[in-house]
Amino acid sequence: MGKLTRWVALGATLGVVAVAGCSVGGGAGDTGGGGAAGDVTLSLLTFETPNLTAAYWDDIIAKTSAKVPGVTIQKLVAPSAEQRNEYARQLDSTGALPDIMSAINPVGLAEPGKLAEFSKDELAEWADPTANSFDGKIYQLPTNSQTWNVYYRKASFEKAGITQPPATWDDMLAAVGKLKAAGIAPFVMGGGAPDGLGPRWTFSTLVANEVYAKEPKWLEKLAAGQTDFKDPLFVEAATKMKTLASKDNIENLSATYAQAQDAFLAGKGAMYPMGSWFPAAPDKAQQEEIGVFPMPTQDGSLVSPTYTGGGLSVSAKAKDVAKAKKWAIEFSKQNADGGAKFDGLFVALKGYQPPAGLPKLYDSTLDIYTKAQSGGKVTPAFGNEAGTPSLPSGFMAAVDAALTDLLNGRSDVNAFVDTLNKKFKELSK
Amino acid sequence: MSGSSRAWARTGNFDAKEVTPAHRPGSAPTSVRPPRLRRALSWSSVGGFGVFALPTLAAFTAMVLAPILWTLYIGMTDERATRKQTSFVGLDNYWYLLNDEGFRHSLWNTVVITVIVVVLTNIGGLGIALLLRKQGWFNSLLRSVFFTPVILSAVVVSVIGRSILADKGLLNNVLVSIGVDNPPGWLTDPSYAIYSVSVIMVWQLLGFAVVVYLAGLAGIPVELEEAASLDGAGPWQQFRAITWPMLAPALTINTVMLMISSFKVYDQIAVLTNGGPGTDGTATIAFDVVRTAFTQQRPGIASAMAGIMLAVVAAASVTTLKLLQRREMDA
Amino acid sequence: MIRAPWVRPLVATGTAGIFCLPLYVALVNVFKPSSEVVSEPLALPVPPTLDNLSRVLSRSDGLYWYGLMNSVTLTTLSILITTVLAAMSAHYLLRAGRWWSRAVLSVMLTGLMIPPAVIMLPITRILDSIGLMHSMAGAVLVNIGYYLPFAVFVFTGFIRTIPRELEEAAAVDGAGRFRTFWQVVFPLLRPASASVLIFLGVWVWNDFLTPLLVLGAGAGNTVTVGIFRSIGPYQQDFGAVFAFMLLATLPVLLMYLAFQKHFVRGLTGGATKG
Repeated sequence: MGKLTRWVALGATLGVVAVAGCSVGGGAGDTGGGGAAGDVTLSLLTFETPNLTAAYWDDIIAKTSAKVPGVTIQKLVAPSAEQRNEYARQLDSTGALPDIMSAINPVGLAEPGKLAEFSKDELAEWADPTANSFDGKIYQLPTNSQTWNVYYRKASFEKAGITQPPATWDDMLAAVGKLKAAGIAPFVMGGGAPDGLGPRWTFSTLVANEVYAKEPKWLEKLAAGQTDFKDPLFVEAATKMKTLASKDNIENLSATYAQAQDAFLAGKGAMYPMGSWFPAAPDKAQQEEIGVFPMPTQDGSLVSPTYTGGGLSVSAKAKDVAKAKKWAIEFSKQNADGGAKFDGLFVALKGYQPPAGLPKLYDSTLDIYTKAQSGGKVTPAFGNEAGTPSLPSGFMAAVDAALTDLLNGRSDVNAFVDTLNKKFKELSK
Repeated sequence: MSGSSRAWARTGNFDAKEVTPAHRPGSAPTSVRPPRLRRALSWSSVGGFGVFALPTLAAFTAMVLAPILWTLYIGMTDERATRKQTSFVGLDNYWYLLNDEGFRHSLWNTVVITVIVVVLTNIGGLGIALLLRKQGWFNSLLRSVFFTPVILSAVVVSVIGRSILADKGLLNNVLVSIGVDNPPGWLTDPSYAIYSVSVIMVWQLLGFAVVVYLAGLAGIPVELEEAASLDGAGPWQQFRAITWPMLAPALTINTVMLMISSFKVYDQIAVLTNGGPGTDGTATIAFDVVRTAFTQQRPGIASAMAGIMLAVVAAASVTTLKLLQRREMDA
Repeated sequence: MIRAPWVRPLVATGTAGIFCLPLYVALVNVFKPSSEVVSEPLALPVPPTLDNLSRVLSRSDGLYWYGLMNSVTLTTLSILITTVLAAMSAHYLLRAGRWWSRAVLSVMLTGLMIPPAVIMLPITRILDSIGLMHSMAGAVLVNIGYYLPFAVFVFTGFIRTIPRELEEAAAVDGAGRFRTFWQVVFPLLRPASASVLIFLGVWVWNDFLTPLLVLGAGAGNTVTVGIFRSIGPYQQDFGAVFAFMLLATLPVLLMYLAFQKHFVRGLTGGATKG
């Protein structure tokens, strides 16, 4: 009996110790708040990127909780930035939707009433309180605007003999040709699992140019079944995508997001179609070496695909919805400067002025957006549409996969739009 | 003790009377047993059942039986998380899935992985077992080396696999340094990805097959092989006529275990490729079920997938087991 | 098979060497600074650094430590309870000898081939309805239910070889049902129990899907899920990832090295015919 009993005893002791330790350890991630009696504990879903580190989040959480008493925040971290939407839905499926979520696409959660609605009063300080609405209701604070443009290495353009950034589509094609002739990879575009969304973002600029700019109600028509992806406008966007960004023009299509960013900063490849959060990444020296221009349209008019939303949302089942919303609003204000500085966000709070000392590229990118707001066209961004109408949950993942096939040469434009149609129908069921 | 420790796990052929009750010296002799005392040990009373069997049956029912039935039920509804109303749709989901290219692809991926894993692991395992057949500390050491990946978690093995097979991973760095210009994307190229995943799994499970085959080989009486070689049989004939047939039970265990492991593979896909590259590049049924249920939030479709998966696993396991066991009997 | 006696060990060693390469890579890079990991993955760590390990151990969110505690708790509770329940019920069902007990055993054995993905969704709902979702107790319950078929299978095989006479002898000596089991039968099941405990221990420790879905987000998760979560932000920091994996695997490795014999014996029991 000896050995087994000893085993059992050992195991039982370990178990008791572990359980004891576990009750202490279960509350890891507590930041801010004093844990005083009467405090409500709210879970906050965050995600980490090279820009948004754990320390950054802890800092902002502490600052916010200092201003909203009675709340203890339990910080949750998604497996990766690009899987954060998947992760939120996985938690929801197991009945654990976090109380407060940062930058989680509300589509699919808002419609069945899983999110708390923000009232007009609560949105008083927002510059665009009707952005990102679902039938007129707001479920995610429309805090940030993000745009998509093409960042480029000035030195590479010089070497290839390109004197100024392309203004029309034909200029763009010519530029690609010149770069290839000079032996420079035209694009850095990471499309590798699990978070390489380079192709999608490039494509969204083209969809903005070819589809949304020309037919502002296109998405409504799609949702109502009046058009589909075989629409000539969309096909044109896909064709342009294939011409521009087929595998030969891209330096390492299967790089991950982080790898692609590093590659571009290290000088590989001339152009980097990317969202407006990119300017936070280059250091001072690199800021001088990089410029930005909007993805050229056929005729050279200015179009800016924009996403306004991206703020915090609150679960309708949070333990104290009012407090959670209050915390979320306060967070948005506290994070404004941080958002601008570390994530390159254009903050959509009334009267907000970005702090001084922001990277040069941030200002240039913001410039393009401001110009588009006054004299060009601001359109939704394909795959990052805010509110309704929007694309069904899970659809963009299928689009990403189909785009990779298109760029890899595994499928052509017709097969591409067919796949999109199929997936759209399937996921809308 | 060694005799009984093999005997206890024998599949099927047993006879309690064969084993001598040598464990407890000093126990009462077995011949003097008044018949009526047997009733004192009646096990079918409620109390006995309640203590000994009920907790087990309750846990099993709650965590295995009931979920299976519930899955089959949900598979017949059109439940979606984005819609509050759910209605019964009978076999619609099943019909839809069988015609859906994405699901068929997942099914195909699962089959490919299973076949590769079962075949390669068995062959590799047998080969290495034959190499390590002799007793001795050195062969024991090597056996431990091969067995180590078996006890690692699939997540660990996949992270290691990813660091080696990634596009800028170890293998490609080495290839580039010896002059290969454009090394393939082992995990990102749709024509390679599924095979890379399979190879990683083979690597992890090889040691398991080795150990099982080693045990099987150890059970072959040396005299038989010696007799054969005295009769002039070469090593290959010895193998075919004696060794291989007597390894039938080992083959059964390996094949069934490997098959079950391959069918339910999830962790590796989640870590290595998250279902990609491209459209469902390496998604297997298990991965598809979990993704559809929890991430895409379509429980109706997901449960129908699960139902199909269950049927396939059951059919394949039972068929394979029967085939192999019949072979065992014949051997 | 091969003529020269040195050919076999040579080939065996060579094969083992190639086979070992991934393990070597995973081990060696724990002790190299991250920059070297990328540039020279195969090089030996000279001089070795404990930097990666200390960084993992001192993470501000305590991912490793909480993971370790949870893994130990989950594993210990799951395997102990499962082993005891399986031994008891296997014994009961075998000895009862009624037709239904055989049927029950057969049903349980079919549980051996159920892939977890098939039943995860309903399991989460059942746990939710009894309020055990996102709790250690819930995860333990899932493990118990899922691994009972295997444990029962092992025990039934073993119990068949224990002659009834022994139990009846105890009955003659006046022992009740309970005592008979615990004092006479259970000690004899030691090898089976050892095998079950070891196999289940490894499987539960390495389990990924169940803790991911049942224990959920937050610090309540196991060290295996922790590995998955630590890959994200540390995409470029391979040293830390390998260090985390080493630390997460250490307990199982140690147990394996200590109990190798039992592993092998447990596996090989059924492989022999004679």
